[in-house]
Amino acid sequence: MSSIEEFYSLEKDKEYYRDLLEELGKVNEKLNAFNNINEGLSSGFPFSAKDNLCVKGVESTASSKMLSGYVPPYNATVVERMLRNKFGFIGKTNMDEFGFGSFGLNSQKIAKNPFDEHYVAGGSSSGAAIATAILKYHVAIAESTGGSIATPAAFCGVVGFTPTYGTISRHGLIDYSNSLDKIGIMARSAKDIRPVFDAVKGPDGYDSTAVNAKLNSNNTKHIFVVDQLIELVDKRIRAYFEALLDKLSSMGYSIEHAKIESTEAAVASYYIIAMAEASTNLARYTGFKYGLKNDNFGESYNEFFTEARKYFGDEAKRRIILGTFVRSASVKEKYYYKALKVREVLSHSMHEILEKGFILLPVMPVLTPKIEDAKKLSPLETYKMDALTIPPNLCGLPHISFPYAYDNGMPLGAQLITSKFNDYALIDFVEEWEEEFKYVFKYNIGAVQ
Amino acid sequence: MEYIDFDRLLKICRLELEPDEKEKMQKGIVEVIAYFDTLNSFNAEVEGRARKEEKPGVLREDVVKEFDDVDGLLKNTKTYRFYVVGPKI
Repeated sequence: MSSIEEFYSLEKDKEYYRDLLEELGKVNEKLNAFNNINEGLSSGFPFSAKDNLCVKGVESTASSKMLSGYVPPYNATVVERMLRNKFGFIGKTNMDEFGFGSFGLNSQKIAKNPFDEHYVAGGSSSGAAIATAILKYHVAIAESTGGSIATPAAFCGVVGFTPTYGTISRHGLIDYSNSLDKIGIMARSAKDIRPVFDAVKGPDGYDSTAVNAKLNSNNTKHIFVVDQLIELVDKRIRAYFEALLDKLSSMGYSIEHAKIESTEAAVASYYIIAMAEASTNLARYTGFKYGLKNDNFGESYNEFFTEARKYFGDEAKRRIILGTFVRSASVKEKYYYKALKVREVLSHSMHEILEKGFILLPVMPVLTPKIEDAKKLSPLETYKMDALTIPPNLCGLPHISFPYAYDNGMPLGAQLITSKFNDYALIDFVEEWEEEFKYVFKYNIGAVQ
Repeated sequence: MEYIDFDRLLKICRLELEPDEKEKMQKGIVEVIAYFDTLNSFNAEVEGRARKEEKPGVLREDVVKEFDDVDGLLKNTKTYRFYVVGPKI
């Protein structure tokens, strides 16, 4: 039984939602999962929306000062479909500013890991993962560009599903990188992801990239492990991962090793493409149509524009500079066009393997870092942490992250990747895994006594 | 590595940084671009490898529709009397 079915079968008193919101508010003060909580929630299975998704009448900032006070007059399609299916909106979740980050640190309120507050929650969908880990009955609508669902899901010990690019409409998403952004779902079990995906997928007249495709469930018992990527992983994680492979063998899966062309170039290519697109998307925050306003209408366009852009955080500024640079006429062939070619080669190489089976990888190359340690990483060191989540994201491939071990009480996540439009096979796999492995949660806010 | 005229780049980006902020930012940018340069060593020959996938989306009719919350739209703008105003260009 999914927890959604369980929730509706339970007898809940009138005070249920009031008590739930009160307890959530207290825990949120410690962990910074939500940018705002819907105090009016009074019905439905709770769902949260990442703060880069527009919710009508609710401040939507993508955790940026630049959008402080922005209240959208419409719902993102994914939000509209959740509400139509009687899910109850519980709030907007914290994130790295505009999705720029892997650890949840690039926000006005640093997101904290629900297993230990000294550790990072992962990013950029940090709040979505924390909310899922602390609320007994809840699903999160999140978004991934280069690993923003898999990473926080792994660090917070929940299931994170990133579907094929284009299967969920991006209408109402505050864009980071249009060719890479994918809306996805986090839950405590794959059983809850299935009905939510059913409710929100499909074409949309407001997003021409939302495809009208048949989604499959072609299951396979073949799993490929990519040696070049496993070599990047911390020894302790490698040992846990080997134990996972043994377990899967005992469940009837055959494990094979594979090599994928151009994986070493994936991180650089991803950041070139993502930053090029981000720098154009952020150009809309000029301070008059979008972005925080000032009153100096006597200033020239350039002065006004420059003044407004002071509200961006450091990482946003860095990506504007790098994205503008790689698009410059004199170097775009060398960086931007080359990165697009690498994406094609990598897609081709991954497709050849995925025709024969799944690809399985750890999500992150390191154990969950402490917040203080993550802060010391240089921008480049931080970007390199995405080496394992970038290949499926760069190629628009569906993948699902799931907890598979605990190291000193902190969860570890693995990610399963499949071919485009074979999304349901991932959900089937994790449902089977959940028969064998029980997840642990420190909080159970909203549990019915 | 490509020569980077950092001041010119900032001007194109319409970003102003404080001196200490600028120094720190430039150091990080140079490091990342040096990393981007590693792409040069990869052979990325795509001929015959591109995989085109035709999965057409659905477009809505191209007709004018009344927006049901014009007040909500204008809440995010600055107004002067009954004008929505921006800077001089």
